[in-house]
Amino acid sequence: MTPTYYLLLSALLFTIGAVGVLVRRNAIVVFMCVELMLNAVNLSLVTFARINGELDGQIMAFFVMVVAAAEVVVGLAIIMSIFKTRRSASVDDANLLKY
Amino acid sequence: MFQATLGSQDVAQSAVNIPEIDWQAISPVVVVFVAACLSVLVEAFLPRERRWSVQVTLSLLTVVVAGLALGLYVNSDAVVGTGGITVAGQAVPLFSADYPALFLWGTLLALSFGALLLIADRSVDGGAFASPVPPAPGGDPVQYQAPGRQTEVFPLALFALGGMMVFLAANDLLTMFVALEVLSLPLYLMCGLARRRRLISQESAVKYFLLGAFSSAFFLYGLALLYGYAGSVRLVDIAAATAGTDRPETLLYAGFGLLVVGLLFKASIGPFHAWTPDVYQGAPTPVTAFMAACTKVAAFGAILRVLTLAFEASSWEWRGVLWAVAIVSMLIGAVLGLTQTDMKRMIAYSSIAHAGFLLVGAIAMTEDGLSGTMFYLLAYGFTTLAAFGIITLVRDGNGEATHLSQWAGLAKRSPLVAVTFAFLLLALAGIPMTSGFMGKLAVFSAAIADGMAPLVVVALLASAIAAFFYLRVIVLMYFSEPAQDGPTVSVPGAFTTAAITLGVVVTLLLGVLPAFALDWASVGGFVS
Amino acid sequence: METFLAVQEPLAASGVAEYGWLLIALPLFGAAVLLLGGRRTNAWGHLLGCATVIAAFVYGLALFLSMTGMPADERVRELHLFDWIPVNALNVEFGLRIDPLSMVFVLLITGVGALIHIYSVGYMSHDQAGRTGADNTERRRFFAYLNLFVGAMLILVLGNSFVTLYLGWEGVGLASYLLIAFWQHRPAAATAAKKAFLMNRVGDVGLALAIFLMFAELGTTQYTEVFARAGEMPTGVLLAIALLLLLGACGKSGQFPLQAWLPDAMEGPTPVSALIHAATMVTAGVYLIARSNPIYNLTEDGRLVVTIIGALTLLIGAIIGCAYDDIKKVLAYSTVSQIGYMILAVGLGPAGYALGIFHLLTHGFFKAGLFLGAGSVMHGMNDEVNMRRFGGLAKHMPITFVTFGLGYLALIGFPFLSGYFSKDEIVAAAFAQEGWRGWVFGGAAALGAALTAFYMTRLMLMTFFGEKRWKGQKSADGREYHPHESPASMTVPMIVLAFGSVFGGVLLYSGDRLLGWLEPSLGAVAHAEGGALPHSVIPFLVVGLSAVGVLLAWLLVGRRPVPATAPAQVSFPVRAARADLYGNALNETLFARPGTWLTRALVYVDNRGVDGLVNGIAALLGGSSGRLRRAQTGFVRSYALSILGGAVLLTAALLMVRFT
Repeated sequence: MTPTYYLLLSALLFTIGAVGVLVRRNAIVVFMCVELMLNAVNLSLVTFARINGELDGQIMAFFVMVVAAAEVVVGLAIIMSIFKTRRSASVDDANLLKY
Repeated sequence: MFQATLGSQDVAQSAVNIPEIDWQAISPVVVVFVAACLSVLVEAFLPRERRWSVQVTLSLLTVVVAGLALGLYVNSDAVVGTGGITVAGQAVPLFSADYPALFLWGTLLALSFGALLLIADRSVDGGAFASPVPPAPGGDPVQYQAPGRQTEVFPLALFALGGMMVFLAANDLLTMFVALEVLSLPLYLMCGLARRRRLISQESAVKYFLLGAFSSAFFLYGLALLYGYAGSVRLVDIAAATAGTDRPETLLYAGFGLLVVGLLFKASIGPFHAWTPDVYQGAPTPVTAFMAACTKVAAFGAILRVLTLAFEASSWEWRGVLWAVAIVSMLIGAVLGLTQTDMKRMIAYSSIAHAGFLLVGAIAMTEDGLSGTMFYLLAYGFTTLAAFGIITLVRDGNGEATHLSQWAGLAKRSPLVAVTFAFLLLALAGIPMTSGFMGKLAVFSAAIADGMAPLVVVALLASAIAAFFYLRVIVLMYFSEPAQDGPTVSVPGAFTTAAITLGVVVTLLLGVLPAFALDWASVGGFVS
Repeated sequence: METFLAVQEPLAASGVAEYGWLLIALPLFGAAVLLLGGRRTNAWGHLLGCATVIAAFVYGLALFLSMTGMPADERVRELHLFDWIPVNALNVEFGLRIDPLSMVFVLLITGVGALIHIYSVGYMSHDQAGRTGADNTERRRFFAYLNLFVGAMLILVLGNSFVTLYLGWEGVGLASYLLIAFWQHRPAAATAAKKAFLMNRVGDVGLALAIFLMFAELGTTQYTEVFARAGEMPTGVLLAIALLLLLGACGKSGQFPLQAWLPDAMEGPTPVSALIHAATMVTAGVYLIARSNPIYNLTEDGRLVVTIIGALTLLIGAIIGCAYDDIKKVLAYSTVSQIGYMILAVGLGPAGYALGIFHLLTHGFFKAGLFLGAGSVMHGMNDEVNMRRFGGLAKHMPITFVTFGLGYLALIGFPFLSGYFSKDEIVAAAFAQEGWRGWVFGGAAALGAALTAFYMTRLMLMTFFGEKRWKGQKSADGREYHPHESPASMTVPMIVLAFGSVFGGVLLYSGDRLLGWLEPSLGAVAHAEGGALPHSVIPFLVVGLSAVGVLLAWLLVGRRPVPATAPAQVSFPVRAARADLYGNALNETLFARPGTWLTRALVYVDNRGVDGLVNGIAALLGGSSGRLRRAQTGFVRSYALSILGGAVLLTAALLMVRFT
């Protein structure tokens, strides 16, 4: 099994995540799609590390996970606070700022 | 740094590579991060009523001390321009305090000092920030204001500042990515902290957060592809790899494209600008000032560094594409700014146009282009900072009066505010004797010298269009009859006065005597 | 051109000269303090104003003395201050050129400037008491503008590049505008200021174009480089630059055809007329041409035009001066005429540059003195300017009479007073030109001397002699005339200037002091022999002609009673002279009317074509803006789409650029 398949899988996951961001309305789900994109990147990093025969890429994946965790904390805090005010988690309801 | 210790050749060896750290060179960054951590502790342990004064003192002091540390290093006997955090055996630091980084650090510190002054001012209407508490049922959610005030904004601002300083000095894409998140996450939160108009403030925070996370995923994917291409994420290694021919170039260009999307998003350029007007309008105005001035500096610092250090050799391939991006950005900013009716939104579109002008200088890839772009950043940062400072002053019963119609006839009621704002608008439009003119002159002449005359023509066209909406505001302030129940202009507190004065003085100074700043900006280039 | 000494390479400034920036900084500091300090500085503002200029003069004197100790070839110094605009090809550095020519001007500006500052203390306090009460705000403002003027004028003469000169040029223009309009409550003053501003703009455009042309040809505007490489420019360009510089000089110095603003500028306070519109600013044109001597040396046609303009102006000024009854206007036309002499002199080339500067200096003394005297007369006569109301004032104002009289004698070239030397030299140099030029220019200059003697004698007779026509009359504000001598702060500067008018010529002329001093800047004076008339005849000719002028004036004015109102039934020449020789009409025809036609034509084109186009573009932009705004839907998901779309496009474009 060549590493290229992992790269293609990673690209597929990234695309699914990106499309998810576009089509889902619930802020939590949108956010999870972003997390999917980050993890797709992690798969790429690990694969490239394997191709290059070194550990750098795998270490980077850990960095990405830490950053993603921090992002979750901040993201959920923001989404929670707007949910408390609006009683809705739909990103389409937050639509006061436009044009 | 960990990644460095596990560098490819060293895995088998048991010895760990300790990076050499030039503490003096990175002292400004260290000061900011240490103070940010202290600030968190203050928030956690000090009683509520004493926090505000301590936090204000701490954060302003931090910026001053970091500035002093920077000044000491620049004037010291050390070999200035080569320090940073260097891995043994590597010629280029991972995290480099070279001349552009030092110049932009100084710019960032000065700008964030002004922005912190705006954030700290609570003489006007008790300050702009509140703790997030939901509105009482039945109240108007749009105009709802939360009780009390909070001080969490100070540690957040310090962390954001530290992240910006690392972001523009990182010579390695992973460090850059971490710094990008360190600067972005606090900004997302700061956007949602407005005391008045909670709903649009929170909306702006959600929008900024989701889009920011989305675009940083692009940045990260670009990083991964470049890692796959070059086998390293160090900028110099990528540059070395582009010099060879035996690697899959699809990875290089796809990686470059995605990486640049993340950077362009932060700099609010071109088709990646959509968040800018909404977030600028919704965020508390002092935070908008901080974002508009400082984030722009950090993002362009990183763009300049990445383009120059990693991708200079392949510039013929990507330059045309970035031409198009610059044109799109300038035209979107100028044309959409024409029909805006909200002052903050209008300045946001102006910042999109300015980002386009800056990109013109950044892709010139010459010494003049580098120094011109950095000078432009300095000039634009102070002008926009002071402009947002003025916006905090014009208020009616519901807080800031940002609708253009409310500014009609302002000159009759408060001539000083009107003349100051008019001056700042002229600077944004690039009229001679203001820093805006000198910045445009520097950037555009560098671009022409590098054979980008058609781009400069478009840029001048866009400036002309944009000048129209600046002048429209001036005309509105001076030649319209004031509205009956129009807004009043608050008497600014000492902090706001200081911030606005700082911005106006620098704008004038750089317009009349630009030489010293241009000299600083052109002392030296990136270390590679 | 062999006679002309090559432009010297300047040395770096050292010693006293290192602080040359003080010269400019001191008056500008004074202006800044007075303008920004507000009412707090009312009480002592005028003293600060005087102090800064006196300090600048003392420093200038020290600098001058240190330079006299140097060998001639070390007297040209440059003091680099800072890079002003270092943007790529356009690199303007701000530096000072301290050389004999600029030092002469420094001493004139700060010396006469200091005297006039002192004089103004007395003059403006009176003004204040009479007009707006005890508040000294007006006087402070006056001194602030005067200091601003001195600072700007010093930038003009000390700058080491044409751009710096232009900065000072606009600065003095601004100060002049502010000071002419100082009494804004008088409509005439406001109009005069506007006129001065507009006519100066015509000249400034010329100067600016000349600088652009230089930059386009040589890529620099620094004096040293421009002068060293002037020969590289094609003759056509050289001629164009020379003529454009001349246009600038005409605007600033009130030369034909832009002379009409200068007499109107006398609406400003009299010290302003003395300092700015007689002694210093209006001579900036002469400085400009003398400074640019390496350019004019290369273009004989350019010099010929300069000479023609000079000769024409000196006659026009003198003729109109004969017809006016307003004492300040007569002096103003006299200034126009005398600057005509200077322009004529510098137009003569290497033979004349230094002579023009010589006359400029002596004129600076006696004309400033004459204006101060006129101010003193007005001061004692309820601000009356009509000479038909004067008469017999000699007894009432003895000091004014004596100092004014000495200035008058110097101006008409009475033997061995200062005007005698400088004017004779110019007449001689003009006669020394070859062929028809000698006769034409020499004749014009000599005729001008006779006319000068005529109108100045008329002025003296009408003011200080004859019957006291003011007795029993009332001035416009309803007060009776009580002529009295002015206070010491006014008479002392007049006395000092009178000394200058008497002895200045001898001091500067004997042993070629001035001419030798100026050699490093302007080259050696080529004493041309031969020409139309031998050199030895000239003094007799000029003095003789002047005597004829004096005699005529006595016959026409002194012997008969002067009517209190100007007679209406007069011959055509007088009518023409009273109408400024139709100078305003000429300006109207030359500038205003074509301007109006052009504007009308443009408005027509504008309405029909450009406006349509602009409106169309505006509508297009506005429409597209309104439509594009709709793309900003406020939905975060559509923003994400734009980012994704942008990313896909950008990456696709990159890959396409690479692989196709």
